[in-house]
Amino acid sequence: MTDSQHIVSSYDRDLEGVQALIIKMGGLVETAILDCAKALELRDEELAERVRKGDKAIDALMEQINEETAFVIARRAPAASDLRVVLSVMKMSNNLERIGDYAKNIAKRAGVLLQMTPIDGASGAVRRMAREVELMLKDALDAYIQRDPELAQVVSNRDKEVDQMYNALFREFLTFMMEDPRNITACMHLHFIAKNIERMGDHVTALAEQVIYVSTGKMPEEDRPKADSTPYEIHGDPMAGKD
Amino acid sequence: MTDATANSPQPKSSLLTVSPRVKQRNAAEARFKMYGIAAVMTGLVFLVILLATILFNGVGAFQQTFIEVPVYLDAAKLDKKGERNIDDIKKVSTFGYTPLIENAIFAAVEENVDNNPLTASKETKALISASAAAQVRDVVIANPEMIGETVDFRILAASRVDGYLKGRVTRDSIARDKNIDAVHLDIVDQLRAKGIVKREFNWAFITGADASESRPEQAGMGVSMLGSLFMMLVVLVLSLPIGVAASIYLEEFAPQNKWTDLIEVNISNLAAVPSIVFGILGLAVFIQFAGLPQSAPLVGGLVLTLMTLPTIIISTRASLKSVPPSIRDAALGLGASKMQSVFHHVLPLAMPGILTGTIIGLAQALGETAPLLLIGMVGYIASNYPTGPIAGFMDPNSAMPAQIYEWAKRADPAYYERAWGGIIILLVFLITMNIIAIILRRRFERRW
Amino acid sequence: MYDNPNLERKVAQQDTKISARNVQVFYGDTHAIKDVNIEIPSRTVTAFIGPSGCGKSTFLRCLNRMNDTIDICRVEGDIDLDGENIYDKRVDPVQLRAKVGMVFQKPNPFPKSIYDNIAYGPRIHGLAKNKADLDEIVEKALRRGAIWNEVKDRLHAPGTGLSGGQQQRLCIARAVATEPEVLLMDEPCSALDPIATSQVEELIDELRDQYSVVIVTHSMQQAARVSQKTAFFHLGNLVEYGDTGQIFTNPQDSRTESYITGRIG
Repeated sequence: MTDSQHIVSSYDRDLEGVQALIIKMGGLVETAILDCAKALELRDEELAERVRKGDKAIDALMEQINEETAFVIARRAPAASDLRVVLSVMKMSNNLERIGDYAKNIAKRAGVLLQMTPIDGASGAVRRMAREVELMLKDALDAYIQRDPELAQVVSNRDKEVDQMYNALFREFLTFMMEDPRNITACMHLHFIAKNIERMGDHVTALAEQVIYVSTGKMPEEDRPKADSTPYEIHGDPMAGKD
Repeated sequence: MTDATANSPQPKSSLLTVSPRVKQRNAAEARFKMYGIAAVMTGLVFLVILLATILFNGVGAFQQTFIEVPVYLDAAKLDKKGERNIDDIKKVSTFGYTPLIENAIFAAVEENVDNNPLTASKETKALISASAAAQVRDVVIANPEMIGETVDFRILAASRVDGYLKGRVTRDSIARDKNIDAVHLDIVDQLRAKGIVKREFNWAFITGADASESRPEQAGMGVSMLGSLFMMLVVLVLSLPIGVAASIYLEEFAPQNKWTDLIEVNISNLAAVPSIVFGILGLAVFIQFAGLPQSAPLVGGLVLTLMTLPTIIISTRASLKSVPPSIRDAALGLGASKMQSVFHHVLPLAMPGILTGTIIGLAQALGETAPLLLIGMVGYIASNYPTGPIAGFMDPNSAMPAQIYEWAKRADPAYYERAWGGIIILLVFLITMNIIAIILRRRFERRW
Repeated sequence: MYDNPNLERKVAQQDTKISARNVQVFYGDTHAIKDVNIEIPSRTVTAFIGPSGCGKSTFLRCLNRMNDTIDICRVEGDIDLDGENIYDKRVDPVQLRAKVGMVFQKPNPFPKSIYDNIAYGPRIHGLAKNKADLDEIVEKALRRGAIWNEVKDRLHAPGTGLSGGQQQRLCIARAVATEPEVLLMDEPCSALDPIATSQVEELIDELRDQYSVVIVTHSMQQAARVSQKTAFFHLGNLVEYGDTGQIFTNPQDSRTESYITGRIG
């Protein structure tokens, strides 16, 4: 996908083939993210079921990509940019598959949450967060297609926003649970959903880093902005009230 | 996937039926093979005809007719003083011996032929070679004690008699020949029946000296063979080292520039220069300028060296070139000097080619006649053996092809037969040299 | 990731064995090598890669002055071996070539016995005092050429009777026998089958302990397998020179990239 063609044109077709699979997989994953959030907000049991079933297609795609990349490595012995394309495709398919799994997990929890009283505003916030991650993924895939490391860097930086949204939700759920212990089950599920979306964001970031690696040959420095402060937060502590 | 094939799909052809196009091609190939075989066969037929002609015409030269008679060596004629003094005996010339031989023959005729038609012993002269007297005299001088005794001699018959036995001379052909009469032929017939006249293998043809025009029965190749041998020695000693050294320098050391190109072109051209030009060069330079003796094998050898050098240089360079450059690289890469790489590795590998080229060059020189014409080796009657090695180089002599040419131009048909015989001997030498070349090549190649 | 002692891909900082500065080579009017600067470290395998006619072999042959044998070839610039300019007027190329051995594309054993093939170099350089010495040198060289076990019973058989891979290892042993410091290899495996190639590659890796090996190869995979440093030549220019790992994963120059990924450069 760089400027010129390989002398062996079937090599070009092989590489384009695996990359097309990644884009296709990305599309499926994007839909899964949006759908699981939508199912949660609209309490749409059917949609949630579709997302759960849809994960199988994503897993199958990953299998196919693994096979194809193995073939390319065995047959073409790729080097330099080609090698980076193949390596990144393998990693990206892994990342996408993980995102798909999270979406499936969210869809499962959405099914459980149907039987509970909804928490005010929570599902809307989750959906905004999911929307944000989906946009990041879309941009990351665009950056991949266009070999645009700058756009990928922007995507990577945007993970900070997702982290902040997660922080906010984390505190919100804490508050709900402290207010009324009956909310605990729902809030725990919602918290896992938020956490899943936050993890999705991390995978999208990893994916964006692969885009940078493919196009520049270097991994980005490990100093991207991180805003997930929850590991360091202390809640329910007697001192917390004094903040 | 052009439109043509798409629109008119060819009917599926079977491999089992041969298409007309293929048939045509196969026929053309078969025809070409036939032409080739025909060409080879034509060549072979010509070769067989040539060899058969040479053998048919030349084999006769290896046989000669002799008359075996007891000769009474009359002391009264050969040693009048009776002192057996060798100097006195030597004073008696061949004229003294002739009557003795004629008497002996006459006696033999008297005894063996019914109604002896001869009236005088003089008339037997037509039967014996003019060299017979000298032959007997040589024996007597070598063994003076024989004088006064009757000794069996094997006397050369006259060439007419020889020709009659070989079918060259017939009763018709002698009608106007004043050397011999039909009477003599009758005598020969009867003597032959008695075993007095017989054909035997003629060693003298191979080892003997040339003889005068009137005595073809005595002529042999021996002396001119020695002449050729001495010439070839000169050629080998000069052209091999000079030729090989020049080729090695030109091929391995000389820089590639205009001068070496010029030399190269000139060497190639020299190989194509007519040999007679070398002859006139030898005449001008070696004989007239350097003052070397005429007709000497040394001069002949020098001229032939000039002629052979281009052949040897070209073949040596070709065989040096055919040594793969990787061998030179290998040696140089190990830190061998240029000279070491050439002498340790390249030259041994090129040796079979160099030897073959040299021997072929020598063979060519051996058969060369034209240059010898101009330095006087053609036309010289090589009737005496050289007395020693130095004389072998310096004394006038002939050479095998020159001898053959000389015989072929003589008038007597008996010489015609000897020319063919000479060609057989020359061919035997050439074939031998080629076989040696093949054996040497095999031996060197078989090292690995 | 480079701390693992089993992964010795990284070239340890070593002294420079050969350093070339502003080297130009002309064949008649053709400018075959244009301004090449390179530092070849000792005890390392350095690979020269590049398309045909890029000058990599020409440059290799400059390193032991094999180009001297070509009349129309002219070399400019400095090439230092251990700090001594090999194109100095006082340097005799014969002496240089004993120090900088060479192995060629086609296995080219002399048409002599295996023993004589190895012994030739030591003989002409006078490395052996007597027969026993020479025997020892021959055995050592054949062992280093990783061919001793295959030929020890037939040292006096012709070297040309060996298989292609054995012949090439014999040639390497022959080059090693003169105790060189640098070994130049001009496509040493291009005439060999994959098994023989692997054996020669294994040998090259072993030779790295003692020699600087410079190898010209058309097989990029081979360069990637055997070398620690790789130099890419293109149209007579040294386009890129660096650690092999870096050249094959992330070349800096687009021409290198195009070449090693199999694109029209």
